[in-house]
Amino acid sequence: MSRIGVFVCHCGLNIAKTIRVSELAQFASTLPDVVVAKDYKFMCSTPGQEMIASDIKEHKLDRIIVAACSPLMHEQTFRKVIENAGLNKYLVTIVNIREQVSWVTHDVEEGTSKAKALLNGAVYRARLLAPLTSRFIDVSPDVMVIGGGIAGIQAALELANTGKKVYLVEKNSTIGGHMAQFDKTFPTLDCSACILTPKMDAVLQHKNITMMTYCEVTEVKGYVGNFDITVKQKARYVDHDKCNACLACTEKCPGKGVSEWDEGLVKRKAIYIPFPQAVPQKPVIDRDACTFFIKGKCRLCEKVCEQKAIDFEQQDTFSTVKVGAVIVATGYDLMNTKPLVQYGYGKYPGVYSALEVERLFNSAGPTSGKVTLRDGKEPQAIAILHCIGSRDKNNYEHCSRVCCMYSLKFAHLFKEKTSADVYQFYIDMRAPGKGYEEFYNRIIEEDVKFIRGKGARVAESADEPGRMIVEAEDTITGKFIKLPVDMVVLSPAMIPRSDSKDIARLFNLSTDKYGFFMERHPKLAPLSTMSEGIFIAGVCQSPKDIPDTVAQANGAAAEALTIVVKDKMELEATTAMVNPASCCACQNCIRVCPYGAPFFNEQKGVSEINEALCKGCGLCASVCPASAIIARHFTNDQVLAEIEGLMEF
Amino acid sequence: MEFEPKILGIACNWCTYTGADLAGTTRLQYPQNLRVVRVMCSSRINPSFIFRAFQLGADGVLVGGCHPGDCHYNTGNLYARRRLAVTRKILEFAGIEPGRFRVEWISASEGNKFAEVVTEFTEQVKTLGPQTKFKIEQQPSLEKI
Amino acid sequence: MSQTVIPYLEMSQAIVDAGGEALKKCYQCGTCTGTCPWTPITHFNIRKLIRFGQLGIDGIEEYMWGCSTCKFCVDRCPRGVELIDVVTAIRNVYSGGGMLPQSLRAFVGSLSARGNPWSGDQDKRNDWAKDKYPVYTKDMDYLFFTCCTVCYDPRNIKLAKATAEVLNLAGLNWGIPSVDVNCCGESVRKVGDLELFERLKQNNLNYFKTNNVDKIVTVSPHCLATFKKEYGEDYDVMHLSQLIARLIKEGKLTPKKDFGGLKVTYHDPCYLGRHSGVYDAPRDILKAIPGIDFVEMGRNREQSMCCGGGGGGLWMEKLKGERLSDLRIEEAMATGATVLATSCPYCITMFEDSSRTLNVDEQIKIKDVTELFLESLGVNMDELMAGTSDLNFTCKAD
Ligand SMILES: Cc1cc2nc3c(=O)[nH]c(=O)nc-3n(C[C@H](O)[C@H](O)[C@H](O)COP(=O)(O)OP(=O)(O)OC[C@H]3O[C@@H](n4cnc5c(N)ncnc54)[C@H](O)[C@@H]3O)c2cc1C
Ligand code: SF4
Ligand code: SF4
Ligand code: SF4
Ligand code: SF4
Ligand code: SF4
Repeated sequence: MSRIGVFVCHCGLNIAKTIRVSELAQFASTLPDVVVAKDYKFMCSTPGQEMIASDIKEHKLDRIIVAACSPLMHEQTFRKVIENAGLNKYLVTIVNIREQVSWVTHDVEEGTSKAKALLNGAVYRARLLAPLTSRFIDVSPDVMVIGGGIAGIQAALELANTGKKVYLVEKNSTIGGHMAQFDKTFPTLDCSACILTPKMDAVLQHKNITMMTYCEVTEVKGYVGNFDITVKQKARYVDHDKCNACLACTEKCPGKGVSEWDEGLVKRKAIYIPFPQAVPQKPVIDRDACTFFIKGKCRLCEKVCEQKAIDFEQQDTFSTVKVGAVIVATGYDLMNTKPLVQYGYGKYPGVYSALEVERLFNSAGPTSGKVTLRDGKEPQAIAILHCIGSRDKNNYEHCSRVCCMYSLKFAHLFKEKTSADVYQFYIDMRAPGKGYEEFYNRIIEEDVKFIRGKGARVAESADEPGRMIVEAEDTITGKFIKLPVDMVVLSPAMIPRSDSKDIARLFNLSTDKYGFFMERHPKLAPLSTMSEGIFIAGVCQSPKDIPDTVAQANGAAAEALTIVVKDKMELEATTAMVNPASCCACQNCIRVCPYGAPFFNEQKGVSEINEALCKGCGLCASVCPASAIIARHFTNDQVLAEIEGLMEF
Repeated sequence: MEFEPKILGIACNWCTYTGADLAGTTRLQYPQNLRVVRVMCSSRINPSFIFRAFQLGADGVLVGGCHPGDCHYNTGNLYARRRLAVTRKILEFAGIEPGRFRVEWISASEGNKFAEVVTEFTEQVKTLGPQTKFKIEQQPSLEKI
Repeated sequence: MSQTVIPYLEMSQAIVDAGGEALKKCYQCGTCTGTCPWTPITHFNIRKLIRFGQLGIDGIEEYMWGCSTCKFCVDRCPRGVELIDVVTAIRNVYSGGGMLPQSLRAFVGSLSARGNPWSGDQDKRNDWAKDKYPVYTKDMDYLFFTCCTVCYDPRNIKLAKATAEVLNLAGLNWGIPSVDVNCCGESVRKVGDLELFERLKQNNLNYFKTNNVDKIVTVSPHCLATFKKEYGEDYDVMHLSQLIARLIKEGKLTPKKDFGGLKVTYHDPCYLGRHSGVYDAPRDILKAIPGIDFVEMGRNREQSMCCGGGGGGLWMEKLKGERLSDLRIEEAMATGATVLATSCPYCITMFEDSSRTLNVDEQIKIKDVTELFLESLGVNMDELMAGTSDLNFTCKAD
């Protein structure tokens, strides 16, 4: 016989408006083993908690049922309450009558009777619950940050400054991310390099940061507090321990590769650093562009390198790092706009994608900061087309959030650097950040023309060879505009990295339909994920600007810290165990367990489960033909009792 | 009076149960015939849970898990998928209309899918009428076991 | 004139109820207007039509007949607005209120009274065949669904005959419907008379059911799209060009006659291309014919320009300078082609008219792909047409 206390929460009117709460409590008091049943306005408030605690003492309760919001909200709260009152914390059961009843119906009759059924099931189950002991494990104090854009850089620095050791994994040969490609940043127009380069150097200098550039994560094992992550160091063909960054090799190299940094606008050497301020300053060899790897002859770099750092025999290497928490900050790509044939990207040389234009503005870019077309001429008229592939059911439904603003920035820089007329073709101007509307006003006053209508087509000009015609409706006047221009800038949708699904798989993250990582809760847990100990920051979560990215990075660093500051952490006690008397030694459990927790004890001739590895999914319990496996807290008896209770009403 | 079926739902903690919560937070409305049991993973579901529910008079059983490939426990739902397919066969063999048993992959972000599935499934079970094939009339109550 | 209006949401709701639900989704970006082929040459503005519809305000009447249902805007709309449904719904609501334009009255009247838009007698529907071709019976494989236009329009009878000959040469077991069938109803649906459409459709479905029809070959892409989208899923419908392309591929028919470098370009009919997704079959046929020098126009396939004949456009008078078919002919001629091939009786009618009014009918010939194909099989089209001049219908009242 157990002694059960039932506590029904009103949640203000959230529950009480659709469920007759006092009737529910009254009903509970008639159920087997229920000793006391009460309802109260806010069970999670201090008086509510005190009520439970004092009733436990007064009525010698040994099982508690709280009918309130989802267990995902307050299970931990109530566990603490009963633990403080001297009960084993696993003996509280939450009945979800808010998210799964009162919020999904307006019908008081239906709501009340469903709540009764759920409560009945909970009482049946509660009678069979057993106390469990929590487990504690050691926590690895280090953190891994994946992605060396501004998000990753910021998070790594914050953490390193608290004294924690950080591994910063970057797949390119330099850190910096997209921000390093820009010339100026909106809305303040401060120079991107001036604010970014010092941070990149700080990463390089920081004694607590291990920078792992040209690296990728290939395998993740373990769980929160104890991840074992395998990182592949891609062969650089340059021994960075020997290289002293003189870059003599890059001058002599005859090989030609496409400069990713300059968005393919120009060529770079086969042995290269992506851009002058790259961190580290040490080069890598691009196999696909290297004359030696292609033709078997050259090795000029080797000859000029006094440090003997060139190593054509280098192979990819793998190392494993142990960390307690991970921050994923892999950023974004821009959508490939070639398939949108109406805009002529890739067909007309005068059509540019936004990041290409960033490079044109940049003094370290292919044109040394001069805005010239591919034929070297300065444009006379420029059209910037917003929302290309964004806010578009045929492509990406989301608003990319920064393109309105960088389009304004572009307009300003075009005005500053050329004498061209500049037109913005937009649907809605979105400028909701601090100082953004002011920036918009400023650009309007710079005499940029705003045409409210989405660019519909870019066509070749029939009259002026080499020029293009932008066709669109100015929806304000209802007139069809055919605008002759010689430069078109597309603002393409910001989309997740092409490999974001692989990262998601490695770290068990969920993604939205496009591949942006899903946060645990859109409002209250925007940086954590459904995978304990894995946090996200920056554009890999959704499009955002640099200020928001940095704020998220700081937040993610703080969240990661809450895990790695502890020496030990508690694990759920809901693991599985084998009853050796029933085990038939079929070893099914060993075959199916995703974590390799069950193992075969040769001596005893039965399977056993390593509790440190078990995550408590219960899979083994349902494949065990002898019903020898007990999935604690979700035993067959407990679940069947709950089902029986539910089906009675 | 219109027939109001009893439907048992078994939902995994990480995806479908969370998705059901999301349906609530976004105040989507759906019929109240479903009673959900939470398990950590759809792979925990023992076919006996489902048979027992039908014996106890459930008119329908709805199982929800993470999308294949998205399982919180990596591969749990892949096993669940196979096992539930077999369960379906056994139910059919036992004479339970296939329309009374449904497995859906509903992620934590698919609150609207959860509401849609529940609405649709409830309608479907309604048209099938009360389930009598499997139901044991005299239930030994828990007290007596 | 005052500019004050009060939104009249009952009107907006009436449009929604008539199937124009999609108008709610529009965020007025203007992509549709910027894409619509009519925008540059007429004052028709599809975005404004949607906007007026959203608020139910006056102005709808001014724009509601401008659309030729080419589907270009639908494919481009970032919000997934089914604009043609909205246009159809608006027309339904307004023509229900007696606002059908004069030029469409004869067309709707004829469809209602005689089951075809050409004021032809229903029992003369098969006169073009002169009993030379079989009428469908239950044991046959294919129903060749003759579009009204190929039955009654003298120019398009050629296409009917060409089709029949191709089917015969392929050795297929096929027949034409009896005179009991009527128009597929596509145009009248787009003109907004949903009730009449339903009647026409039910009549055809009755015929299909009582005659156990399951495989249908259409010569008009309008019939094709309508059967596929509106008649249910019981029928295996294909366009003639798809059938011919298949026969060529299977080696059942092989074009022989060499055209000696004849330069041909191809116009994608909206209802075959964008509406039905058939782009390759007609091109495959043209490319299989020896001696045809095939050239594409700048706007082709998914980007093809409308001829202006859809959505009732065939029966509406358009001013000079406001005809898409004129522009299309010019575009075709700019490629240097001397034959403009297409695969739709409406397109043929529109282009034949334009080539005559533009006075270029000697420089560029309008042909259906099927006609070219039949010629390449060695059949003389003129001989085939001998004796059709005595056919006597009342046809398109110019
Ligand atoms: C044209 C344009 C102009 C912009 N201008 C401005 C502006 O003026 N002001 C402003 O505030 N914002 C601007 N933005 C937005 C700004 O770019 C972003 O807010 C910011 O760069 C996001 O940083 P991030 O670190 O999240 O992503 P990223 O900059 O994309 O960095 C991600 C990093 O992760 C690395 N990475 C990716 N995948 C992996 C992997 N699997 N393993 C290891 N490493 C990986 C990448 O190589 C990269 O270094 C602009 C955006 C665009 C497109
Ligand atoms: S081997 Fe030659 S081509 Fe290759 S990196 Fe060295 S210098 Fe360049
Ligand atoms: S930020 Fe502006 S340009 Fe970018 S998708 Fe949103 S509305 Fe379009
Ligand atoms: S409960 Fe899951 S994790 Fe634990 S041993 Fe069983 S299968 Fe493995
Ligand atoms: S393209 Fe679509 S969303 Fe844009 S104005 Fe037209 S109907 Fe509206
Ligand atoms: S369907 Fe064609 S004609 Fe009609 S509005 Fe759209 S683009 Fe214009």
